[in-house]
Amino acid sequence: MTLVDRLAALSSVVELGADRLPDDVLADLRDLDQRAGTRLRLSGEYTVVALAGATGSGKSSLFNAIAGAPLAGVGVRRPTTSATQAIVFGSTGATELLDWLDIQTRQYGDASAAPELSGLVLLDLPDHDSTELSHRAEVDRLVRLVDAFTWVLDPQKYADAILHDEYLRPLAPHREVMVVVLNQCDRLSAPDLAACLRDLDRLLADDGLAGVPVLATSAVTPDGAEPLREFLVATVANHKARTARVSADLDAVAARLIPLVPAGRSEPPLRDAQRRLRAALATAAGIPAVVSAVGRSYERRGLAAVGWPPLRWVSTLRPDPLRRLGLGQLEVEGEVLRRTSLPSASAASRAGVDSAVRSLADTASAGLPAPWPRMLLEAAKARAGTVPDALDRAVGGAHTVTNPSPRWWRLVGAIQWLLLAAAVVGGVWLGLVAVLAYLQIDLDPPTLGPFAWPTVLLVGGLAAGLLLRVLIRPVVAVGAARRRRRTAAELGRRVEAVGEEMVLSPLRAELAVFEQLSAAVRRLSG
Amino acid sequence: MTAAADLVDAVAALGAVLGRTTFPLPAPSAWPAERDRRELAGQLADYLIPRLRSIDAPLLAVVGGSTGAGKSTLVNSLVGDDVSQAGVLRPTTRGPVIVCHPSDLTWFTDDRILPQLPRSSGPDGLGLVPHPGVGPGLALLDAPDIDSVVSTNRELASTLLAAADLWVFLTTAARYADAVPWQLLHTARDRGTAIAIVLNRCPPEAVNDVSAHLSDMLAAGGLGGAPLFVIAEQGLKAGRLRDKATAPIRSWLAALTADAEQRAAVVRYTLDGALHSLPPRTYALAGAADDQYAVRKQLEACVSSAYGGALARVDEAIRDGALLRGEVLARWQDVVGTGEFLRKLESRVGRVRDRVVAAVTGRPTPVEELGEALEAGIETVVRAATEDAAEATYGCWARHQAGAPLLTDELARPGPGLAETVELLVRDWQEFVLELVRTEGASKRSGARLASYGVNGAGLVVMLAVFSQTAGLTGAEIAVAGGTSVAGQKVLEAIFGEQAVRGLARQAREDLLARVDALLREDAARYGDVLGAGSVSGDELRGAADRIARVLR
Repeated sequence: MTLVDRLAALSSVVELGADRLPDDVLADLRDLDQRAGTRLRLSGEYTVVALAGATGSGKSSLFNAIAGAPLAGVGVRRPTTSATQAIVFGSTGATELLDWLDIQTRQYGDASAAPELSGLVLLDLPDHDSTELSHRAEVDRLVRLVDAFTWVLDPQKYADAILHDEYLRPLAPHREVMVVVLNQCDRLSAPDLAACLRDLDRLLADDGLAGVPVLATSAVTPDGAEPLREFLVATVANHKARTARVSADLDAVAARLIPLVPAGRSEPPLRDAQRRLRAALATAAGIPAVVSAVGRSYERRGLAAVGWPPLRWVSTLRPDPLRRLGLGQLEVEGEVLRRTSLPSASAASRAGVDSAVRSLADTASAGLPAPWPRMLLEAAKARAGTVPDALDRAVGGAHTVTNPSPRWWRLVGAIQWLLLAAAVVGGVWLGLVAVLAYLQIDLDPPTLGPFAWPTVLLVGGLAAGLLLRVLIRPVVAVGAARRRRRTAAELGRRVEAVGEEMVLSPLRAELAVFEQLSAAVRRLSG
Repeated sequence: MTAAADLVDAVAALGAVLGRTTFPLPAPSAWPAERDRRELAGQLADYLIPRLRSIDAPLLAVVGGSTGAGKSTLVNSLVGDDVSQAGVLRPTTRGPVIVCHPSDLTWFTDDRILPQLPRSSGPDGLGLVPHPGVGPGLALLDAPDIDSVVSTNRELASTLLAAADLWVFLTTAARYADAVPWQLLHTARDRGTAIAIVLNRCPPEAVNDVSAHLSDMLAAGGLGGAPLFVIAEQGLKAGRLRDKATAPIRSWLAALTADAEQRAAVVRYTLDGALHSLPPRTYALAGAADDQYAVRKQLEACVSSAYGGALARVDEAIRDGALLRGEVLARWQDVVGTGEFLRKLESRVGRVRDRVVAAVTGRPTPVEELGEALEAGIETVVRAATEDAAEATYGCWARHQAGAPLLTDELARPGPGLAETVELLVRDWQEFVLELVRTEGASKRSGARLASYGVNGAGLVVMLAVFSQTAGLTGAEIAVAGGTSVAGQKVLEAIFGEQAVRGLARQAREDLLARVDALLREDAARYGDVLGAGSVSGDELRGAADRIARVLR
């Protein structure tokens, strides 16, 4: 991962993390996003190194020793330095960079006298431990901006808590761009100095800074500042501090982000929870009631359609169970938008849906750290309020619920009419024959075997009609069962679609954001 | 009772109250208050109470200051012997050392002061060195540093400083403007502790400049009256400062020890300062205790409103008959619609036949199905209400500044095993209803019709009645609301109209609600456990402080 990629990942973490990451983390991310971008845009020709440390450790003396001139005021009154000052070694002024760092006191080093330092901007910071709180604020500000740190310690103060607890330990990710200087080493005898350096090494290792170079310097002995100068020359020459600092900043935020957005989480198996949700929604939508009403309505209308015509009115005496639920409006085209009169879901079924949604969100957030389970639950429940309406529409708009009449009913109905017509024709014929016989006009009707045709028509028509009614009844029952099955299947699909739209897709969207965020954090950590 | 004994009693009473005070809830004031409480309690035990009880004990001068300021070197130089180890590694002194005249040793061997420190040399103990180099009536305590990376040193130093009659505060030319020692000096000033300042390791050429600056700073900090001694940076002779450099301090200390009156004045000065600082410091703690109380109340309100709401919701679901819709209604229609209900309930034969059918086909009878549907309905409602309550409490705490740090993942949902507990609850309730029907039946007060259903059938009727019978709402209305058939309506009216059923249903509902309430309380108790028991109230602390203020007046 290049630094540019990592910065891009940081930007997307900032974007996706809004409202999802803790506020303090987010504020730091935004700050770093801006800071790192600006620093990388600004001059790469210069390396900004800060001399930081406690009051009286000799920062200004070292600054003067490197500058080769008494630029910074040195004194015995504590704290001596109150404003940061900078010295620039180089041909161009580094004005823009110093403007960004907001440093007013600027000196320009003699580049020709020290060509090996060309490209260095050395800052003399105020102290971080005196009673002047403004000094500490200035140090805290610049510690975030500079490319490399030189921590100036002295034999009296090298073990101070404030230095280790509040600066060195938190800056452990920046060990690449850090050097620790034990100044005033002229005050110690050689064995004492060695012991002191060993002790300092131990303390630094405790801070997580093992391996950071520790230099012994003195600003009063000739060449006493030489180790620091050599280090600065090397730092400037390899031009890496600027990117290394940003990279270390990114490492630091990545370390904070990883516990919040763990990587490499496998897709949680939602199938069981999804099935439970489907069942709960089906109960809440009253599917069993609707299905049974559809079946009964089918039977009732089917028997009416194929029954013996003169007795059809009998079955319409009982109300259509579907109509009672406000369903089965044949005349309505497409989606039924008005509410059905299905009884509103019972407290138990509503509670069942709530539980199912909760268990779905629980499953989805298994193994995720703190804010995520709540976020996922909120996403899953975001549209829960509209679920009853959506279920109602889903049931009302189902095609099978309108209970269309199958074509064979009309055919059988026509046959019934035909048979009735035959019976009527037979009856009229018989009557005619009887009247003619009464008038002594003998007109033998044609016969079919031993029976006269009119008789065959009358009796056969009636008998066949009733027989058909009896025979067709199981067929209607089979049709009703099939219709029930189809209705159940269609309603199941439609209710599932409601669950998908109202619960699952918001949940999946939030999960997808998590995945993106997790991927961005992975890219960010390099 | 004398005034002195009264004062000792009042101070000891404050110590007892402080010992019981805790600030467990992470309110913004809690952490500083706990630190202050520890300090205050420590000062009472280590200094105030022993000093009040034995006003004649030797004056304890604690030599404190930054790491590397030369505390041990100064003590060694004053005593004229190597009594405490000095060195270049920071921090040097880890275990504190008391140096006193051999005749004063008995004052320090028992646990009159600093009882928590065993009397032994080493990092964990308090070294005791009797040495004639120190005059009688004075003890020098070489304390660890106040500002090094070793946090135990810092804590121990503040404990020791709180036990001092006199601070000999060491600083250096490089240190004298450090923030940490000045904080301690300001504390000492506020508590009226007697202080002497020693500016050590001052470069000879800067003595005037630095000491003038330091005097200005002391005057500006309200410490203008403290004596200031300056010791120039010098090569050490056998690890000790030259006698000439320490002479002013030595003679000042000698004057203190020689003159019993002056010594008593120093002791009195610090003691009075400490005593007068007690009421305001305790009032500050009382404020924090009030905060604790307020935060506890707010968080408890979260719990009680969420769980109270859950009980109300269950109550509502029971009252408005909503439980009877859906599955229960369908089963009810199965039972009534087939006309089986009365037959089944009223005829033993029917029941026996049903049993046989059920045994042969393995299918539950409609009455059993109705009972199960009812049971499942109650279970689901109670479970969802509990889940909602836990979730609402979690959300409420998460929005609260002091509540958020207390949350764990378990608190986002109800306690484990909720499903089983609720199932058991409903079973127990059903048992109760059956038992009720049985006893009421035996007492012959129940209606004839109800009695004719047998215990199981009657129990089911009562349970149904619980959910259909609300204040003024009759079975008929419920039947209309539920959309039952005419036959079902008639049955309901006939059954639920009976006075006996109404009475039983009321008892059964009250019992169910009581059980649900108990369940919810138990679940809510998990949040109470996190909050812990309430601590000492602000008023109690104020009372103890008032008592001291009264005695001092």
